[in-house]
Formats: sequence, structure tokens, C-alpha cells
Amino acid sequence: MKQSIGERLFQIFNYTLLIVLAATMIAPLLQLLAVSFSSPIAADSKKVFLIPVEFTLATWEHILQNEVLWRAFGVTVFITIVGTFLSMLFTILTAFPLSRKDFLLRKPIMLMMVLTMIFNAPMIPFFLTVREVGLMDSIWALIIPGLISTFNMVIVRTFFLGIPSDLDDAARIDGCNEFRLLFQIYLQLSKPVLATISLFYAVGYWNTFKTAVLFLRNPDLWPLQMRLRAFFTSEEELAAVDLIMGDFDFNTTTLKAATIIFATIPIVLVYPYLQKYFVKGAVLGSLKE
Amino acid sequence: MVEKNGFWDRFIQNSLIKNVRKHWMLYLMILPGIIYYIIFKYIPLMGSVIAFQDFQIFKGIFASPWVGLENFRHLLHYQDFHEVLRNTALIALYQLVFQFPAPIILALLFNEIRLLIVKRTVQSLFYLPHFLSWVVVGGIVFELLASQGIVNAIREMLGFEPILFMQEEGYFRSIVIISGIWKEIGWGTIIYLAAITAINPSLYEAAVIDGANRFKQTIYITLPLLLPTISVLFLLNIGNFLELGFDQIFNLLTPMTYSVGDIIETYVYRAGVLQGQYSLTTAIGLFQSVIGFALLWIFNRLARKSEQGLW
Repeated sequence: MKQSIGERLFQIFNYTLLIVLAATMIAPLLQLLAVSFSSPIAADSKKVFLIPVEFTLATWEHILQNEVLWRAFGVTVFITIVGTFLSMLFTILTAFPLSRKDFLLRKPIMLMMVLTMIFNAPMIPFFLTVREVGLMDSIWALIIPGLISTFNMVIVRTFFLGIPSDLDDAARIDGCNEFRLLFQIYLQLSKPVLATISLFYAVGYWNTFKTAVLFLRNPDLWPLQMRLRAFFTSEEELAAVDLIMGDFDFNTTTLKAATIIFATIPIVLVYPYLQKYFVKGAVLGSLKE
Repeated sequence: MVEKNGFWDRFIQNSLIKNVRKHWMLYLMILPGIIYYIIFKYIPLMGSVIAFQDFQIFKGIFASPWVGLENFRHLLHYQDFHEVLRNTALIALYQLVFQFPAPIILALLFNEIRLLIVKRTVQSLFYLPHFLSWVVVGGIVFELLASQGIVNAIREMLGFEPILFMQEEGYFRSIVIISGIWKEIGWGTIIYLAAITAINPSLYEAAVIDGANRFKQTIYITLPLLLPTISVLFLLNIGNFLELGFDQIFNLLTPMTYSVGDIIETYVYRAGVLQGQYSLTTAIGLFQSVIGFALLWIFNRLARKSEQGLW
């Protein structure tokens, strides 16, 4: 294997480029992390470059004592856990019959569901429907209207289709009904895909924003992302502080940086454990069907 | 014929009843799913008819007066609509030109990395931003580009004047495209990398014997064999051409940049949800869906000529 000079130059260029670009994926977060541990004077006088200047914990002390933020955190944890569970239940219960050859209405129902991927309902009729159903200003508005993702359901169904049908026959002979077949055999064999799909749902719920914008007028119910957005734009609770008292150990710049990091930490913490699953899921979802 | 239809109907009904009896559990299982799809997908879809009504919230769909195409006619003479449509189409076009090819190029570059440890580390870093919400990414963008942010700090060090990027119309669309690429480029490579892995290695061996270097292998083998994948993803993209993603624009937009950045979805939210102009904004939404479907249909026909269509 001999390489020409051109190829070797390309290799060097390629490695450098990709490593530099990969660094830009994490650098903004590191920069904000550094700002959140810096003094407000250092932060506003543009001295902070990836490393905290005049290190202080004041910003984080203030953030971690902010009840409004923790409340929103609680809402997000609730919808992530309960929402992911309910979404998985609904998705599995829908995908299983659609994977059965002896389910007569398999094709028309499948078509009905897949069509909704092409024909999205416009925002206003969707908004009016959810309001009609009585979910306005309810925490369930963050879960129920988006319960099943057709994309995820199709992935699960495709996986179920790949399970050999010999297993069904054996289970049938042993007197297994369809519920037991699903829960005791199919689900046991589908753990990788179930983990992947739960991850997709969980990230979706963690990042819930649009439904909150549409349906929640009561700030007590706001999830984390919505609360962050309010912090960034109207600067209500955050800015109030440095307006009232001039020389605090934090200001809006450091507080905004800290809240961004606050909302990101949980995702960054679980990220390494989830990686093996999501790549598989992304491929499954897009290649098949 | 009539008798045959009657027989056929009876046959279907009969076997359906039999099927329901025998597999009632499957029907029970799927029932919640069907109810979900009817309430939250199909009822809103049919609710689109309010675009042809003068919808009044207290009368509801059934009692509101029909006005035919009045709302659509109104749209065409409506200054806001022209601006919003132009912004949407331009940003969508820029996304197609700059954002769509980005993961393809990145996947090809990934493919040239031989050191597994480097490849894995670099890939994990590239996937990360996909999992952040647009609120967080918007916050990051605002903070980095603020007057005291790092970008202006660097500009000052180099002797330039600081710029309030987020407040200036001229930068908005570039910021949308660059932030979009930053967030999704890594995630987009996954599917292309999978397709590259599926390419038969003997093709490359044959090419090497013919004296093809890595560059020629990429141009003559990898890229052509990626074309079906690219084509399918392109079609899936084009069907949602005007649906840019509410979260991204909403979180980057400020009142100062409305004139260049207000898109159909953010406008529909403000004028529809917040101000209650239900019929007019539904007409806009419907208009958007029709254009998306028309584009999908046209490009699918084109793709089918090279046997790579969706249907």
C-alpha cells in the first residue's frame, strides 16, 4: 500500500479539518460553562476564553436555589418519565397487530397511519382540536397530543416483522394468547429496539417546547425548555436581580450561561451510555420501508 | 356484477367478523392507537375546512358560515403573506442548497479516516448537538453572538467593531443555516455511513487493480452508489419544503429580524393562535401543505425516471 504525496496531504488535511470541526461541536458548551463560573465583570469585559476568569460559584448557587427553575425541571422530569412510558405502551400496542399476518385490517390501518406522515394537520386545526378536547393548560397537553410518533411505530413494527414466525407457532401450541405472545416473547426479543425508541421518545419529551408554547398559558406548568426561553427573552426573574442590586457576584450574562448548561447537563450525562443504541435506531428508521 | 359485488361484500364482512372473533385481542390492542390517530391526526386534518369558512369560535365548524375561496383571495392581496412566503421559500431554498449536502460531504470525509479511535471520538462529538433542544441552541447562539460574547471578543482583538448579529437583518438567514448545519450535520451522516458500509468491498478492490486512487474511488464508486439514498432523503425533504421547523426559527427570531426571518409557521402562531385569525392562518397552512405535496409529486416523477422514486 503506497500512498501518493497528494493522498498523504489529503489525509493530514482531513484529520485536521474533522478534529477542528468536532471541537466546535463542544466548544460553545465549554465556553458557556466557563462563563458560568466567571465573575460578571470578567464575563462582560470579554476576558473569558474556555477557562473561567475570577472563578466564582455565585452564579450556580443562585441558579440551584431558583425554585421556579426546579419546578420547571420537575415538570420536565415528570413528562419525560410518564410520557416515555405511555408512548412506548401505545407504540408497542399499535405496532404489534400491524406486524401480524393474521390481522385482517393490517394494510388499511397501516396506510391510514403512514399517510399522516405526508399529510400533517395545519397548526390551527390541531390547536383547536387539542383545546376542544380540554387539554388547554394541562400538563397532559405535553404528552397526549404527541403520544405516538409514526416514525417510531414503523421502526418497532419493522423489528417485530423480523422475528421468525416459528416462535409464534410454538407459543400458540403452548396455549399463549396474543397479549402473552407480545409481552413475554416479542418484547423480550426486542430489547435493543425498545431501548432505542425509548431514547428517542425521552429526548423528545426532554426537549418539549412547541406544545408548551401552544397550550400552556399557566407558567406553573411550564417545562424546562419553556422556562429557559422565558429567561432568555423577557429576562424576568434573571434580570431582576442585577437591576435591584448593583454589585452582585453574578449578572444576566453568567446566569444565562448557567441555565443553558443546567438544561444540557442531563443529556450530556446520559449521552455516552446511549450512543450504541441511537445509531442503530437512526439507521433502522430510515433505511427500511 | 351487482350480485358479484354483493357476494364479495358478504364474503369480506363474513371473514372480517370471523377474523375479529378469532383475534379479538389484536383488535383490542390497536384500539387505543386508532382512537389516538383519529382524534389528534384525522380530526385536525379535516378541521382544515375552516380555511374555507369564516370560522367563529363560538359557533364551531358546523355553524360557521362558508365563504369558499374568500380567505385565499384575501391572502393574495395581503402584504404580510407575501413577506412571510418569500422568507419561508428563501430559507427553505438555502437549506436545500447548503444544509442538505453537508452531511453527505461529512460522511465521505469520515469514510477516509482510518484510525478507529479518532473516527469514533469525532463522530460522538458530531452527534451531540442533535440532542440539544432549539431553545438551548438558540440560547447558545444568542450568548456567543451577543455584544459581550466570544465572537465579538475575537472581532475586537482583531481590531474590528463589534456587531449585534442577532438584531441585524443581514445576518439572520446565515445564522439560521449555520446553526442548522451545526446541530444536524453529524446526525445526518448516520444514514449515509450505513449506506457506505453496505457497498460491496470487491468493487473497491477491482478499482484499485485498475489503478484508481482514493479520490477516484469516491467519485466513481461511493458517490454513485450513494445516489439512491441521497435521492430518497431528498424526496422526503422536498415534501416538507416549506415546513422549516417552528422551534428553530422561533428561538432565533427577534422583532428586529421579522422582516427577513418571519416564516409561515411563526406567523401562523402569532396571527392564528395568539390573535385568533383562525380561518386566514389555516388557509396559509393549507397552502403550505399543497405546495409541499406538489413539489414531492413533481420531484418523485423526475426521480422515477432514474428509477429512484418513493413510489
